[in-house]
Amino acid sequence: VLLVSCWCPGAGQDVGRSCILVSIAGKNVMLDCGMHMGYNDDRRFPDFSYITQNGRLTDFLDCVIISHFHLDHCGALPYFSEMVGYDGPIYMTHPTKAICPILLEDYRKITVDKKGETNFFTSQMIKDCMKKVVAVHLHQTVQVDEELEIKAYYAGHVLGAAMFQIKVGCESVVYTGDYNMTPDRHLGAAWIDKCRPDLLISESTYATTIRDSKRCRERDFLKKVHETVERGGKVLIPVFALGRAQELCILLETFWERMNLKAPIYFSTGLTEKANHYYKLFITWTNQKIRKTFVQRNMFEFKHIKAFDRAFADNPGPMVVFATPGMLHAGQSLQIFRKWAGNEKNMVIMPGYCVQGTVGHKILSGQRKLEMEGRQILEVKMQVEYMSFSAHADAKGIMQLIRQAEPRNVLLVHGEAKKMEFLKQKIEQEFHVSCYMPANGETTTILTNPCIPVDISLGLLKRETAIGPLPDAKKPKLMHGTLLMKDNSFRLVSPEQALKELGLAEHQLRFTCRVHIQDPRKEHETVLRVYNHLKGVLKDYSVQHLPDGSITVESILIQATAHSEDQGTKVLLVSWTYQDEELGSYLTSLLKKGLPQSTP
Amino acid sequence: YRDLHTFELQAPTRLIEWARESRVCVAGYGQSDGNEILQLIPPPTLQTKETQGLCPERDFKVECGGFSKRPVYSLKYVPDTSLLVTSGPPDSSLQVWQTSAEDSDVIKSVSTIATENGTGQPWAKIATISARAPWVLHGSRLDSVQITEVESRKNVYTAASRGSEELSSLAFLDCNTLLLCCATGQLCLADIRQPQSPVEAVSVPPAPCGEQWCMGTRRGIQGSEPSSQPVARLSSRGLLTLTDLRKTSESLASAKARVPSPGSGAEFLCVSWAPALEGCLAISGFDGTVHVYDTQSWDSSGREAEPIFVHKGHAFSGAGGSGDPPLVTVHTWHLQKPRTLLSAASDGSLHVWDWVQPCGKC
Repeated sequence: VLLVSCWCPGAGQDVGRSCILVSIAGKNVMLDCGMHMGYNDDRRFPDFSYITQNGRLTDFLDCVIISHFHLDHCGALPYFSEMVGYDGPIYMTHPTKAICPILLEDYRKITVDKKGETNFFTSQMIKDCMKKVVAVHLHQTVQVDEELEIKAYYAGHVLGAAMFQIKVGCESVVYTGDYNMTPDRHLGAAWIDKCRPDLLISESTYATTIRDSKRCRERDFLKKVHETVERGGKVLIPVFALGRAQELCILLETFWERMNLKAPIYFSTGLTEKANHYYKLFITWTNQKIRKTFVQRNMFEFKHIKAFDRAFADNPGPMVVFATPGMLHAGQSLQIFRKWAGNEKNMVIMPGYCVQGTVGHKILSGQRKLEMEGRQILEVKMQVEYMSFSAHADAKGIMQLIRQAEPRNVLLVHGEAKKMEFLKQKIEQEFHVSCYMPANGETTTILTNPCIPVDISLGLLKRETAIGPLPDAKKPKLMHGTLLMKDNSFRLVSPEQALKELGLAEHQLRFTCRVHIQDPRKEHETVLRVYNHLKGVLKDYSVQHLPDGSITVESILIQATAHSEDQGTKVLLVSWTYQDEELGSYLTSLLKKGLPQSTP
Repeated sequence: YRDLHTFELQAPTRLIEWARESRVCVAGYGQSDGNEILQLIPPPTLQTKETQGLCPERDFKVECGGFSKRPVYSLKYVPDTSLLVTSGPPDSSLQVWQTSAEDSDVIKSVSTIATENGTGQPWAKIATISARAPWVLHGSRLDSVQITEVESRKNVYTAASRGSEELSSLAFLDCNTLLLCCATGQLCLADIRQPQSPVEAVSVPPAPCGEQWCMGTRRGIQGSEPSSQPVARLSSRGLLTLTDLRKTSESLASAKARVPSPGSGAEFLCVSWAPALEGCLAISGFDGTVHVYDTQSWDSSGREAEPIFVHKGHAFSGAGGSGDPPLVTVHTWHLQKPRTLLSAASDGSLHVWDWVQPCGKC
């Protein structure tokens, strides 16, 4: 029985980082390599010493797979490959490969240049790391080595996000990364075929949540933006990476068009401009609707949204600005925030989760007096709002995915709630599979039933199928043969062929049993009696009385002799070969019952 | 609307019950196995008095859940305990559950309260109270009304009655007085201190032929006489009557709601008083809408009344065109926020809405 063991390194229960180690049929694969945004020290990276104590990472790991470009899934990759040391292949989709380095570099710049940290990866390290990346296409089977293959499936969530199937022989694991089952304005929904993996590892961020409908959230968002702009205020929307920014741009653009609004909308330079470029480049990764309308009008070519210039922040009048980074922790969005914070007509809308320690998190917690660099106190009078448009699967979506993939076991990660017993039972009851929810750092062992392919010789196959009822495609047929295990191959052959190949001599086994019969007559008369008896009972068998005084039933031999001490008793010697065991036993018990009196 | 939140449950519910600390409970009523009972934590917007607009969390969280083999038609929490009681077809027995323990989020089935000759009877209507002990008042017909102690499952009271009309709802007016409403519209009072005397029928509304009725009672402010609050009755044709239990010879007021006729059955008929708005009540169960009325302007003429607000959200949300339009299965008022209601429909939708009072009224 082979094992799949799952281990999730990393501290804490929150949505900090993803990094999962899977051992499948002797192969070791690392799924995602995320960074925790809340810590400013080594705790932000997963603890790899667990693996390195076994030797070099490159020898231990067969490959690394990255599901998408969010930093909590790929942020520790350069640290891992360049600072800890890994030279093996790293797999991700094309959009992820294109966008990852940009996000990593952006974050590096802020952490090192603005904050002055030293134990962090360098720009060169990011470049070196990306050189180890092999980009994959959707539904393309990639052979990592002779036995290990991987395949990517569409996950929705953000551009280029994929779910990965990892297969070794007939054992497979599917890792979802982050995904969602409902399409949104610019991305489709996740999809997988009935691949029946031994294990499905699914994220469960919103597993115990019943989400407010998107329409209501969008309605409220647009209402707030509209109200602010109408009274002449400025709206700042700090956006974290790509993905949600595009979704909100499409939303605002459509609204501006419908309501014929004139206030300018800006996109801050740098990251998000490049993002739009990538969306255009990877248009096949967006949803149906965008691809269809792309021919007439490029959805990412916005009419009302223009590039931002730092100077615009001081312009009077209403405007909406998308600026990076998303948690207001540094950079342009923080700069704009400081300019606008003092005016109560303005508004800042945080569109995503903010990690503890960031300005975003502080103002969402209600802090209105912030200490900036140089001990300056910033008073926040502008309105602070939060709204989450992040796309994750809820309980219904998780059930849908399980229904699509039909795994034999399910493992839930990336969850918030400690208590998910109810969901575990729900999954177990509905799909009759085992459901695991390991804590971070815990190893889960899952037993699988492997299928071992065996070749069968044609001769044996013909012979076995000729015996008994006709083969039925729906029923398993029991066959007898000899299993030869040589080198790495398994073959089923007939015993004769096996003996020949192995150069073994065949041995015959013969059983002889003594049955005592009370009969005072002469031996040959006893034999006649036995012969008539058997002929009468065993009508379907060939019973013969041979000239030498013995009886044969098929190939079983019966001979009679007188008992050495007692003339009244005759001893029947019944002898048969191993192959006739069944008949032989039957005959013996039949004869032991004695001869009927009436037989002449 | 001041606020509108729409949610989609995995399975439709026909009950919304409030539990401690603003928890809300819903449950599935499908015919097949595997109906879920869900205790939800509402988003922070619903927990505080002031609305915060775009709040950090706008979602319901499943706090704990349980699995019921039979459809759950009615659910009531047992006050001051961690138990709840459910009922549903195919008989009039009750199921007792324990909500989550410290280490698990599963609502466990604890016991069953069986009823004599219960098989084949309609499902039991229930009400709970914990005055002397945790009690559940239940029954499906006028002649099967009883009070059972929840933990010991001992019977503590059986109502004496000659009629066998089907009940549509029952309630504790106080720890000694029961109010029963039959499907025919007949209201009955009983005093549990006098189990031998039969239940006392109260006035029957005019023109009772063929319609089904349900009732809504209101908890007055602490210390007030429970029977000082008018009882509202709603019929499947949209007739509303208000009755003062101290003066039952005539109804206080009556009106007709503008609802589609013929009524689509009385399965989901629901009428409830606003806990924080004097004289306001809401009705639902006719179509995909919830109507809110101000009864203070009503008289006894039975004229058609104009609702002060109509929630139409359920009729518009959901898959357009496919199958029957959704029917609102239940609604309930928020216990503190005066103009906030929760409503659920047959398509699994759950709405939380706060309407804006039309000008001129306060």
